[in-house]
Amino acid sequence: MSLKPFNKLPELNTANVLLVENEERFQKKLADAIVLLENNVNVIVRLARSLPLPLENAESRPRIDLVVFIVHLNSEQSLLSAETSLKHLDSGYFLGKVCFLVTGARCGTLPYERLTSLKKMAATLNSPLLMTEDKTAEGVNTAAQRVLAVLRVAAGLVPMATGLYLSSLTRCTVPNDPDWQNQD
Amino acid sequence: MSKKSNPSRLDMNASSENDSSNSGRSDRSLRVAENSRKKREAEDPFLLALKYFSRVEEGTPWRGNDVLERHMAVVERVALSQGLPPEAITVMLDFALSLRMRTQFCVRTLKILIPASAVPQDAVIQGVSWLCVGKMTVSMQVMFLRWVLTVFDLIDSKDQLRAIYGFIFSFVTEESLCPYVCHLLYLLTRKESIRPYRVRKLLELQTKMGKQPFLMHLLALYKIFSPELVTLSFPSKMKSGFKNHNSTWKAALSAVQRRNNVEVTSDLRLTFGPREQPVSKKRKMRSHLTMPALSSVPQSGSSGRKALPLEQLRAFPQLLENLDRIELPAQMGSMLGSSLALHYLDCVRDSSAFLRLNFWLGHALHEEFLFCREASSQNTVEGTRFLNTLISTQRLLQEGFSSTEVFLYRFLRVWDGSLLRPEILTLLSDIPVVPSSRIKDLLFEPLMQLFFTSSLFFKCSVIECLNSMLLKWLTWHSVYALEDELDISVSSQNPVNMTLSGLMDSVVELVQFVGRIATIGLQLEGYHTLLLSFTLDFYETVCDMYLKYNLPLVLMPPAGVFYPALLSTSPVSVDRLCHVMHKYRTNLVSAKHQEKQTEKPFHISRKTYRKFNQYVVSIVSCLWNSRAFQPGMGIELGEDLLTRSKVSEYWGAFNLIHHPAFVSYAIDFHQKCWPERKELDLNSIKAGRRWDWYTEFLFCRGFQGVKEFVQNSFSRRSSIREVGTDSQ
Repeated sequence: MSLKPFNKLPELNTANVLLVENEERFQKKLADAIVLLENNVNVIVRLARSLPLPLENAESRPRIDLVVFIVHLNSEQSLLSAETSLKHLDSGYFLGKVCFLVTGARCGTLPYERLTSLKKMAATLNSPLLMTEDKTAEGVNTAAQRVLAVLRVAAGLVPMATGLYLSSLTRCTVPNDPDWQNQD
Repeated sequence: MSKKSNPSRLDMNASSENDSSNSGRSDRSLRVAENSRKKREAEDPFLLALKYFSRVEEGTPWRGNDVLERHMAVVERVALSQGLPPEAITVMLDFALSLRMRTQFCVRTLKILIPASAVPQDAVIQGVSWLCVGKMTVSMQVMFLRWVLTVFDLIDSKDQLRAIYGFIFSFVTEESLCPYVCHLLYLLTRKESIRPYRVRKLLELQTKMGKQPFLMHLLALYKIFSPELVTLSFPSKMKSGFKNHNSTWKAALSAVQRRNNVEVTSDLRLTFGPREQPVSKKRKMRSHLTMPALSSVPQSGSSGRKALPLEQLRAFPQLLENLDRIELPAQMGSMLGSSLALHYLDCVRDSSAFLRLNFWLGHALHEEFLFCREASSQNTVEGTRFLNTLISTQRLLQEGFSSTEVFLYRFLRVWDGSLLRPEILTLLSDIPVVPSSRIKDLLFEPLMQLFFTSSLFFKCSVIECLNSMLLKWLTWHSVYALEDELDISVSSQNPVNMTLSGLMDSVVELVQFVGRIATIGLQLEGYHTLLLSFTLDFYETVCDMYLKYNLPLVLMPPAGVFYPALLSTSPVSVDRLCHVMHKYRTNLVSAKHQEKQTEKPFHISRKTYRKFNQYVVSIVSCLWNSRAFQPGMGIELGEDLLTRSKVSEYWGAFNLIHHPAFVSYAIDFHQKCWPERKELDLNSIKAGRRWDWYTEFLFCRGFQGVKEFVQNSFSRRSSIREVGTDSQ
């Protein structure tokens, strides 16, 4: 059963975010940072290794406002797992309720093809792709801030803005100029 | 063994004590000391291993040779923990390249050639001679060349290497070696190395192999030194031509250098220039993110005049006296750290020097910020320092390097928005005018993705950065623009010739982009005063483009910026908006005037005038005439909606008395006027001369923008219609 964005009612002053990461090495840190950062709204962070989510809690689970896929570029498995998980999301999520978090984009030749294919995927899904520095505390904090910024909009907490509106501005683009794209 | 060595050490100590008292015995004690040194050497497994490798015969069995394995293990351990001293490099390199053992073993040796400090030039020369012998397999040759390129900065001097330029050049014909040889030649090339037959050879290769980037780069360098020999034309921005070859050694090298950095700080000092920072120390620590120490190779008599190496300069007068005979350093990167060297560079405008500096810089930036293995706080501190040096260099030269620009475009795409933020944004504001056809791809797309997902603070810094970028573009234009040719040469080392219309297109793109992101940013951030303030900063630059920078362009702010500022709760925003509108007025009036007078009029579209007039009408009817929300103003609301808001006299809710930004001043004024009155009746301020007094009161409170606007934009008691026709 796929996860649906609109089949449950939202709760007052609450935002739910789901962090999906196959390796489970970054999501905990990020979740802590997110919860610490937001004081005005009740933010609930849920963690998962992959989708689909288990069926037994499906009824009691609140509406998920934003699904964040964490992809580590240094592992092929990470990308593949995100790709298979994507299939279990309702298409409604791609109207601004999905975002990708990438680590290791500045590291070496190896992940470059992966980054390109990830970018292409995010671009076809009209979703934003956020780069993060997961090794430093400052980087984690920034990532948490940025996820929160997207979450607030996706959960409808920012007046006059919707997730679709924001994602039309921030969605990933693949540069069509090969000169700047090719690194070494 | 230890039993034997202890007495001898004691002996030595005793003799050195006697040394001072009895000089007659010093001969003997020296001899004893020598003996004990020899003994210790004989026991040091590392020295033993080196001795073994220097003497090992060709054809020594390889498989099952325990002695060999043991010695190799020792060398490996030393190499990976503290690096090899120069003489060990010589021995091991010679051992590896002479192929006295099996090839696999030699490859293994090459892989651990991690220098602790410097690499002796002789060792490299020896290596090249082995290369000429031609016994090595191709992969081995490639590996040797890659090693030389990796440790190039550490080679103690390069004069003899330059002397065998021809030998090295002869390898370009080998297809698999060509990229590496070209890179090495690029680093070694001097003007005197360029000969017609070498140019012919390279051109021949280019026709054979196609336009390979490494050949192009080498030819581009040749062209700079001898433009008469190379008639090819090159694209202004070439792809980065040389790949990184240091993957095998980089991690080990930087680990060793970091470990050793405490010990090597003392023997290398940058003794040059007013800014004596410990630059040279960093050279040891990391191979790239460093400004190497200034050192140029003394010219070996190839040119007649006596050259003065840059590092011997101490003061500015000395630079002036020796301007014509200064030798550039071997490592161009070292110039970044020294302001004297930069003054020289700026003065001579040597394009080959710029090319070399650019090449070094692009390589270093790419290597350190886009290619890093691990992120740690140590790296960030160094990165900050490096980028700050780069920023001050660019400030001194008053132009950005093209390699910085290329780097920034790449970095923006993988940036998380906080790493080195102040430095990156400062560098970004320094980039030369970007052609309007590419500005969207290179700059706007990545910036948008960062802007809308980041914090308020980041949004403000981006707007500030774009403001200072625009300021620089406009300043370049006003300095370099020639009346008729309409041609600015933005950066002299990489001339981007831009027509006036090209520049105007880029400026229009930039201003519109900021208008767009500011509108949406303000909306997302709940019209935050800080962001509004930065946005108004930007429009303070935009509104004066014609008069202050002589760019025939007037661009109005979008409604999404104008109305939030007009209806803002902060009096400062309203005041600054009035100031900006006043500036727009003076610009438009003088543009109109100019248009009537000169032969070649430029055209400012009627739309701009119409928009301006509408904004003026809005301000006047809001602040002055209490006619907010009336037809004709930019924002109109339905009658029923306004009554439902239950604000009586909603049309006056935004005049200077009731405007949320000014109401506190109105109350203040009311109390000063009628101290004895108990109940507040702000409407009484409107009557008669009180209104004049009230506006005067506001002007005295420092609202100069409102004052300018009121005094210049309309004559008092005039109707709105007159204002409209006045500026049309």
